[in-house]
Amino acid sequence: MFKRAGFIFNADDCINCKACEIACKNENQTPTGIQWRGVKKVAPELYLSISCNHCDSPECFRVCPERAFMKRKDGIVQIDEDLCTGCQLCVTACPYHAPQFNPETRKVSKCQMCYPRQDIGMVPSCVEACTTGALNLVDLNTFEDEQAVRKIQGFPEITITCPSILFYPLKPRKRYFLQ
Amino acid sequence: MKDGIYRNTCPRNCYGTCSILSYVKNGRLMKVTGDPKHGYTKGRLCAKGYASTQFVYNSQRLKHPMIQSPRGSGNWKRISWDEAYSIIAGKIIELNQRYGSNLASGYNKFSGNLGLLHYAVEGMFNSFGPHTKPTGNPCALTGKLAVNQSFGNNYSSVPEDMAHANLIVIWGANPAVTNVHQMKFIYEARRRGAKFVVIDPIFTRTAEKADIYIQINPGTDGWLALGIAKIIIEKGIDFEESTRDQTIGWDQYKHFIQNQIDLFDVSKRTGVPLEAMEVLAEFYGNLKPAVTWNGLGLQRNDRGGHSISAINSLAAMTGNLSNPNGGLYYMHFDIDYFPQLLLNHQGPVHPTITNSREVDISNFSKNALTLTDPPLKFLWVASRNIVTQDQHLKSWQHLFNQLELIVTVDLYLTKTAKKSDIVLPAASHFEEEDLNVGYWHYWLAINQKAITPYYEAKSDLQIARGLTKKLNELSPDFSNFPYEKEPIDWIKEELSLEIMQQYGLTSYEDLLKGPHKKLEITDSMSDSEKFKLLPAIEAHSNDLFLGKNLQQPLTYRLLSPQTLLKIHSQYEMVSWLDHKETDNIIELSYSAAIQHEIDENTKIEIYNEHGLIVGTAKINPTLPNNVVLATQAGSNPINQLISQKEEKDKNSSSTFFYDSIVKIRKWSEKYV
Repeated sequence: MFKRAGFIFNADDCINCKACEIACKNENQTPTGIQWRGVKKVAPELYLSISCNHCDSPECFRVCPERAFMKRKDGIVQIDEDLCTGCQLCVTACPYHAPQFNPETRKVSKCQMCYPRQDIGMVPSCVEACTTGALNLVDLNTFEDEQAVRKIQGFPEITITCPSILFYPLKPRKRYFLQ
Repeated sequence: MKDGIYRNTCPRNCYGTCSILSYVKNGRLMKVTGDPKHGYTKGRLCAKGYASTQFVYNSQRLKHPMIQSPRGSGNWKRISWDEAYSIIAGKIIELNQRYGSNLASGYNKFSGNLGLLHYAVEGMFNSFGPHTKPTGNPCALTGKLAVNQSFGNNYSSVPEDMAHANLIVIWGANPAVTNVHQMKFIYEARRRGAKFVVIDPIFTRTAEKADIYIQINPGTDGWLALGIAKIIIEKGIDFEESTRDQTIGWDQYKHFIQNQIDLFDVSKRTGVPLEAMEVLAEFYGNLKPAVTWNGLGLQRNDRGGHSISAINSLAAMTGNLSNPNGGLYYMHFDIDYFPQLLLNHQGPVHPTITNSREVDISNFSKNALTLTDPPLKFLWVASRNIVTQDQHLKSWQHLFNQLELIVTVDLYLTKTAKKSDIVLPAASHFEEEDLNVGYWHYWLAINQKAITPYYEAKSDLQIARGLTKKLNELSPDFSNFPYEKEPIDWIKEELSLEIMQQYGLTSYEDLLKGPHKKLEITDSMSDSEKFKLLPAIEAHSNDLFLGKNLQQPLTYRLLSPQTLLKIHSQYEMVSWLDHKETDNIIELSYSAAIQHEIDENTKIEIYNEHGLIVGTAKINPTLPNNVVLATQAGSNPINQLISQKEEKDKNSSSTFFYDSIVKIRKWSEKYV
């Protein structure tokens, strides 16, 4: 059976340090303004590190008139930039803002889950960079943990595309604010 | 340089001192990764570190030496290194002839690059005899002195050991932003069941992650520590005899706490409810080992030294300092154990002047202006951005006016560089050799030259070699700097036999294989040393903390902590690191917003007698009512509002940045 590569993100451990975001740029040398991965504050104290979620039913794949997208056997969704004409249908269709349009090259690019690294047994650069261990890679076909959930506050609708990402939510904490 | 992977070390003024693997192809830095052989950073970097290729190859980097005339005009002209050296050396020699010494020549250098070879600046000035030099440490001195008073030496536990604690209490530090690699050790402890407590006036990213967050009025941490100690003492402690043995002043301390500390008063001053104090007392009393971290933020106000003494005393009286994996964190100064041959370079003897003139760097401009015989006429600025970071900007302007030549060495045309006559392009850490030792973790690492310097950039050491050579050409024997020595020679000499033993090195080459941790670290109280509890430290213990909070109504304490994507003003020019979220943002509380009728995202001004800053209001519902929060540097640097009062300048201390008081108003064109 093939694996289904997915991310698992622990919101309780993420400190919004953005190392994943910039490590992605370091690895892929994407230009300023092109963000294959980004960390965003979506609610008080809640930060999400999100890239392409390599969905089971990728909308980008469905809407692309040039058939520039393909899904590998391990689940990774790739784009062939040579086929891209810059129509940006995928940019509008993706609920996660994963496809990134570069106005200079007039092409779309996106997270490829560091497949060249994965192909030689390495983890994606974002996962490697995560100093707290909040971001990890799992095989969703075999991964089981009752605490992991498919939805989290601030994350877009999942029913249409079935994204390959799981979350651990924030835990409650005790606070004493000034009297 | 050959293709391959090189070892670099991040030299920033940061807890991480991260080991970097630099991937070089066709002479170009292609990417960086963390070095998995580093036991503290464990193969990771921070966002700034991962932006290294942009830091190096940046269109805004200085490429050549330049001269500007007149100063401040922006009329820059490219000059050769030889011309730059000739002009600078000519001025130094002329001042020497005019005044009969080099006291009119001085430098201002701080923490832009903490590599050992960057002491070349100090070495260069030493090499021509007595001159004017900065002393002290605006960032950490008050805390250092307080820790020294408590322990008799510098003391900071091993950061990796925090993973084995059962209680972690952080007072005024924000590792989730400023020391990201520490968080994994804290989480490791928590997964084992440890409790994690953060005490801070600001609900920081670290506070968000704490099991228990306790908000506290700024500058009142010492009171809280004493309050907790009182609860513990009143409940009765079973180890009183051993505490008496291990400390100096137990009976005084106990008497002081029992008679002078009132919990309701503590609660009122600190803003911390009694319930929270009881929880902390319960934790400190029962969870062992407990670690306590004195953050730098604690000592950025005039009560900081007392606060750290009180917190240290609490840690000591709960028996944590002799407990393995218990301990106390501040920062360490192990760099002082190195030979520091450049820093300690001995220059020629002057017939009448025995020593250099020392100026406290925390108050450099004001003190330098008082020097008359001779006045300071030439200033060299390196590893420093005075105009965005230092206090007393008005006196800086007076000093600049008095100076006949200002030279700034930097990678970028900073605000300070723009006020200089000459700028010299500095090499990045990828373009020079160096040796780096942390001040938080205990790892020693090499910094290799991975790529040739960007255009004509040079390291501080190469500049020192070039300038001293020129000085001697123009005036034989003016400098005794050993300019023939290569960087590698200096590195090898820093690795003395003693240092090699301490770090388990057999040769310099060992460092080319990876960073090395110090083998024996004194991280708990030795049996012979005694801890000095708080009242034993201060003769006037009754006066401790008794100063009233004199803050007037409708005034606000200005806090300006570090932000994630910059270190002070460094990394501002790196476009991968988006500073929009923090630049020119002024955070204020709900109550302040209501009081001044300020809406979110509108323009506001904060001001005091020193200046005025315009920014965009952001309402932070967790901010204490009498605090405003702003970030450092940016286009409108906040240090314009910072100026310590005269009486606080007398003794050596850190700069009390957080004692700055400002007022708020809506922005209005009529004030412009």
